[in-house]
Amino acid sequence: MKPRILPIAVIGGLLLAACGTSNAPTSSSQQGGSVSLWAEWSSGEQAAFTAALSPFESQSGTTVNYSSKGSNIDTVLAAAVAGGAPPDVALIPDPGTLQTLAKQGKITDLTSILSGLSSNYGSAWNTLASYNGKLYGVWFKGANKNTIWYNPAEFAAASISSPPKTWEELIQDAATLKAAGVTPFSLCTDIGWPVADFWQNVYLKTAGADKYNQLSAHSVKWTDSSVTTAFTTMAQLVGTSSNLAGGIQGSLSNAYPACVDKVFPKAGSQPQAAMVFEGDFVATEITGNSKNYMPGTTGSGGASCTTDPSATPCYNFFDFPAPSANSANSAAIQGAGDVAVVLKDTPQSEALIKYLAGPDGAAIWAHLGGFASPNKKVPASAYPDPVSKGIAQALVGASSFVFSLDDLQGTWEKNMWQDLLDFLKNPSNVSSIEATMDQQATAGLGH
Amino acid sequence: MAAGSLRRGHPLSPSVAVSTSAGTPLADAGVVPVSRKPAGGGRRDQVGSLLFLAPAAIWLLAITIYPVIATFRNSVFDETATSYVGLNNYKAIFSTASILVNFRNNVIWVVIFPFVVTFLGLVFAVLTERIRWSTAFKTIIFMPIVFSATASALIWRTIFDLDPHVGMVNAAVQTASDWVNPPGLYPVDVSAGQSVAALASSGLSPGASGSLQSTSTAVAGDTVELGLIRINAATLQVVGAQTAVPPSPSSGAISGLVYRDFSPSNPTVRGQLFPDELGLPGLQLTLLRSDGSSAGTTATDPHGNFRFAGVGSGSFRVQLDARNFRSGFTGIFWLGSQSLTPTSHLSQTAQALLSVPLVDLAMIVAYLWMWAGFAMVVIGAGLTSLNRELLEAGRVDGATEGQIFRRITMPLLSPVLVVVVVTMIINVLKIFDVILNMAPGSSQGDASTLALAMYNDGFTGGIHSGLSSALAVILFLLVIPAMVSNLRRIRG
Repeated sequence: MKPRILPIAVIGGLLLAACGTSNAPTSSSQQGGSVSLWAEWSSGEQAAFTAALSPFESQSGTTVNYSSKGSNIDTVLAAAVAGGAPPDVALIPDPGTLQTLAKQGKITDLTSILSGLSSNYGSAWNTLASYNGKLYGVWFKGANKNTIWYNPAEFAAASISSPPKTWEELIQDAATLKAAGVTPFSLCTDIGWPVADFWQNVYLKTAGADKYNQLSAHSVKWTDSSVTTAFTTMAQLVGTSSNLAGGIQGSLSNAYPACVDKVFPKAGSQPQAAMVFEGDFVATEITGNSKNYMPGTTGSGGASCTTDPSATPCYNFFDFPAPSANSANSAAIQGAGDVAVVLKDTPQSEALIKYLAGPDGAAIWAHLGGFASPNKKVPASAYPDPVSKGIAQALVGASSFVFSLDDLQGTWEKNMWQDLLDFLKNPSNVSSIEATMDQQATAGLGH
Repeated sequence: MAAGSLRRGHPLSPSVAVSTSAGTPLADAGVVPVSRKPAGGGRRDQVGSLLFLAPAAIWLLAITIYPVIATFRNSVFDETATSYVGLNNYKAIFSTASILVNFRNNVIWVVIFPFVVTFLGLVFAVLTERIRWSTAFKTIIFMPIVFSATASALIWRTIFDLDPHVGMVNAAVQTASDWVNPPGLYPVDVSAGQSVAALASSGLSPGASGSLQSTSTAVAGDTVELGLIRINAATLQVVGAQTAVPPSPSSGAISGLVYRDFSPSNPTVRGQLFPDELGLPGLQLTLLRSDGSSAGTTATDPHGNFRFAGVGSGSFRVQLDARNFRSGFTGIFWLGSQSLTPTSHLSQTAQALLSVPLVDLAMIVAYLWMWAGFAMVVIGAGLTSLNRELLEAGRVDGATEGQIFRRITMPLLSPVLVVVVVTMIINVLKIFDVILNMAPGSSQGDASTLALAMYNDGFTGGIHSGLSSALAVILFLLVIPAMVSNLRRIRG
């Protein structure tokens, strides 16, 4: 199959290029033609992405035929590749798919094409886009799950002037918040995935990215001491019911985004907790609750934040802290992202991938909001507010970057969520939960 | 595919009803008529009827018989249905605690629901016969059955919500509870992990039954400074707290101060009175003699100061009464997985088999609301077809209404009641959508039934078609007795 598909793909690309050239504007500096592009973004995100691509279209004269494939783009792309009709360029939300396609020889080695541009990204990102030491992709968009969101007014009520930088400070601040009568945390554990995100962050920060990837592949057992450490570390916070809004029971009935609303309530209600953990998408929920919420630690015109949400409340985040003994892991980030790969090597697709690897397109989307780029060259001024700037800076500076572990667990992902919820219900029961998890991982992954 | 057909409506009874009877018409059309009607045209009739039967028969084979066979086949294969694994899937089902939970929940549903719903249906049917606006009443009782089960489940999920501001049931309990037991000015929510003892910061220790008392004793002329923490800013606003003023001694009296031991300028220092700390007003205090009896009561003023005047000799402690910290009702987690049977000391497997999670009962209540109307209508139809002469004969013979109901109505109705019970047993064995939509994620694992497990293993996330098919086969076998009994009844 392989030798037959490639020529067809090349011919197809040439045909497309030929057709495009004949329709293209006459300017000689322009390449013209067209390039087909698949990504998961639709509606608002699609509009922002299209805006980010418009300078490329006007400068090169190349038409980008964008097609949104939604969240199951991995499946759709695999089918298109198997059927011999892939797009020229695709943005995929999964490094595993990049590895598979590279192994099958279905995507183009970009090492020489991007030789001058790969330095725009930190090594963590280039490693994630590589297979066998060759670069196959460009991380255009990143998502950051290393974020604990806090209500600065609640921190101020407890006289906490700056957010915690280590896990120990976080525990200490939780105690100070309680002394001031503020419940430290709101937990969204009506369902399994938020507690999995939380646990995975704790594991990443205590055990490091290498162990994290080994555990994900189940080459480290779930009964390993590093797993126990993560559980006992997490129990320092969630094992004390009074640290949680509504206690354990209230947390177990607390759905996402209700947990966010408890920290950043709609106008007229009081916050019930000071902090909530989830990824960078929490910002959308906060600003959706009230247009008054200001990003950062001070309100409009430098006014201080207030507990009265109808005045000028603020929101901000701090990086999920690592224990001081594991400070080497403090810049390790759990998150997600979209990597651009070339499936048909045409001059147009090469031009597009170079554009995506540069800062211009990303800066446009960054300015429109709801976007963070791991690209070093995207200027901080492109971000509209200090919070989105901070999220992007954390991505750029990531010492290592890992994807959500639960998504890679196949059949036993749901069991894993249930086990983590069982841990919340009974945080002293760690060894029995670990044994169950290891059994389920073995059954689910087949090793 | 068989899994899909198991989920909706009453697929099992009709499908098997049709498939067993599918054999009979074929035989009738083929063999019996020929022997009965040897005259001309027999063979043509036979071919004709076979031709007419063929589409339906093929259709049945394709959508009923094939999926059943394929499900049996997949149940002895691995998760991708590629390699044969023998009875391993069945072994896994009966040896895994988290799967045994599904059987337990099916048992809970089957033991409780069919009988309660039939009883309610009977009560409604008998009573609506005798009231004036019976049609309106019947319409209201029957209405939930026309709602989608998903919508009903979502409505009930809200009704049972933990937060009394959202959940109707908890709101009702809260209103009643707070009326009987009004919450204090400084409520401590024990269910959320808070405790009165944790409020004590300086000069205080836990006292009797949820109160706090001064650690050291005082005599007339002494002053007492008592510090509390974990008092939040919103509470301070509500009670109108003002700057704490150090108490001044006066002879013959014990005077003192209760203050919030949290200084914004020194957030981590305890037990020291700073100028930016606030007094706690409205606290109910009791002066305790050394034997624990009361020597007087008072309350703190807006600056947190208090004074017990005219104190006699002896040493005393100051008590902060428990009612100051009484929490309002904060909600029962009806949809939680806390067990109604004490099983926490048992092994994991025993727990899976023996605990009865509260969420099951909440869902049964919701399901009763949905199906009581159906039971009422079926039983009501049975009631109207009763032979009235027997009832009248009973009345003439001087039987009371109770006797007539027990001795005449019930026996005559019993065939109908059995049909309702059996139909409801089949119905709840397959119960699925209510659990999926009503149980929150955190208790879904403890509320799951065979049908839901089958769906989760076969159709969501990581797919295991072998396990899912094996669950479908077990569910099928469990439904057969109820189904056969219903078929016999329909035929007989």
